[in-house]
Amino acid sequence: MSFAKLQLSVGERQAISGAARWYAQLRSGTASEQEQAAWREWLAADPLHRQAWERMQQLGEQMSALPGGLAGSTLRGAGRSRRELMRNLMVLASAGSLGWLGWRSDSAQQLLADYRTQVGERREVRLADGSALLLNTDTSVNVTFDGQQRRLQLLWGEMLVSAGVDALHRPLRVITRHGEVQAQGARFVLRSEEREDQVAVLEQGVQVSLGNGALVRRVEAGQQLAFNTRSFAALQPNDASVGAWRQGSIIALDRPLGDLLADLSRYRRGVVQCDPQIAGLKISGAFPIDDIDRALAALESGFSLRIERYTRYWVRVSQRRVG
Amino acid sequence: MPADDLSLRCAVTDLYTHHHGWLQGWLRQRLGNTFDAADLAQDTFVRVLKARNALEIREPRPYLSRIARGLLIDLFRRRSLEQAYLEALALVPEGEHPSPEEQNLMLQALLEVDRLLDGLGARVKQAFLLSQCDGLTYEQIAERLQISVRSVNNYMAKAMEHCCLMQMRMQLS
Repeated sequence: MSFAKLQLSVGERQAISGAARWYAQLRSGTASEQEQAAWREWLAADPLHRQAWERMQQLGEQMSALPGGLAGSTLRGAGRSRRELMRNLMVLASAGSLGWLGWRSDSAQQLLADYRTQVGERREVRLADGSALLLNTDTSVNVTFDGQQRRLQLLWGEMLVSAGVDALHRPLRVITRHGEVQAQGARFVLRSEEREDQVAVLEQGVQVSLGNGALVRRVEAGQQLAFNTRSFAALQPNDASVGAWRQGSIIALDRPLGDLLADLSRYRRGVVQCDPQIAGLKISGAFPIDDIDRALAALESGFSLRIERYTRYWVRVSQRRVG
Repeated sequence: MPADDLSLRCAVTDLYTHHHGWLQGWLRQRLGNTFDAADLAQDTFVRVLKARNALEIREPRPYLSRIARGLLIDLFRRRSLEQAYLEALALVPEGEHPSPEEQNLMLQALLEVDRLLDGLGARVKQAFLLSQCDGLTYEQIAERLQISVRSVNNYMAKAMEHCCLMQMRMQLS
């Protein structure tokens, strides 16, 4: 926020800082008789002192009107995420228009991204070159098109890219925290997370490169590939689960429960916690992502699980006790 | 002067006609949410009106987006406070939750205090909150933060002075 300039006389300024010192001293609970007398003297010496003191008192009352513990944790908690934001803004400012340096999953970069979906939202975006993006839940993308390049930056999340064929023959480059995917007229699903990215190609092929082109791999239609900044995993064939979110579901094929729950929780605000003892349980089925509570209920009844809700934001999944 | 006022209003109206749609689109892209975007676009023009400098704006879109960016960050501040509040509330037994009206008032009050604290060093703020919100004595704070009681006293004075000046500044704008 920007404020109007505050113009104070030297006297006013000194009165305020004096009042603040007195306030702190008297609040300590250890002010002596003498100090209290000195304070009264200070107060009477100048109307500006009294004015400043009244401000301090009002301020103190305003603070003590807040519900103690709750206010303290809230203000501290907000400070934490705020610091993160400031750091990110700093990075944005120093890295210029690209804002490249600090990959962060949260806060400023995502907030200021060109296109962004909320948790649980899906959205289609049409780009100037005829390409189309379908953004899945909680996704942020920047778009930079110029004479030389068509460049997307997937900051976080998942999207289906239908790359248009460009009249200027500019390749479509999608940059993620881990690497880069290049395409010319392909259709593919790209997902970027903290630990790795995954690309699954539906039509034509793409090229994935890591470390500014030090490592390159081609992925053809029907294949998927996971990668991080350093290496590629093995190429895998696509299965029915790829891009099922477009139709509003997650399809699990022998998927570990912990993994599936982590995936489901991307579509819902709050925490879904899984008892580590059953995280490896293999699950198959189709689960709706537009109603995660229904998906959890399906898991509960289909796989003998127990779902406990502590608050609206906090869900814990464990094994149902037998007997 | 009334004549100035008139040309100023015309300039703002002109800005509004030519760029409001664009600005709202710009915000919608970033927020992914039509309602917030409409609100912030409106707020942006209110700021322009208040700043009374519409006649001097040479590049309207960069100018508008700069203001809107500031408002976006403000919105983020508010959301992060709300989030922190919900997290803090989750630790309070359900039966003791304040009513929705009370919660709303409380959030407003917290937002204001949060703004006052903006710019304070982390340790100063910590000491201040431990005293004002958690009701710890200076000795307890000194122990918790591993500093002297004298420093706690100084931190408190610093925080009060800072908040007081912030409040005066906010009352001005």
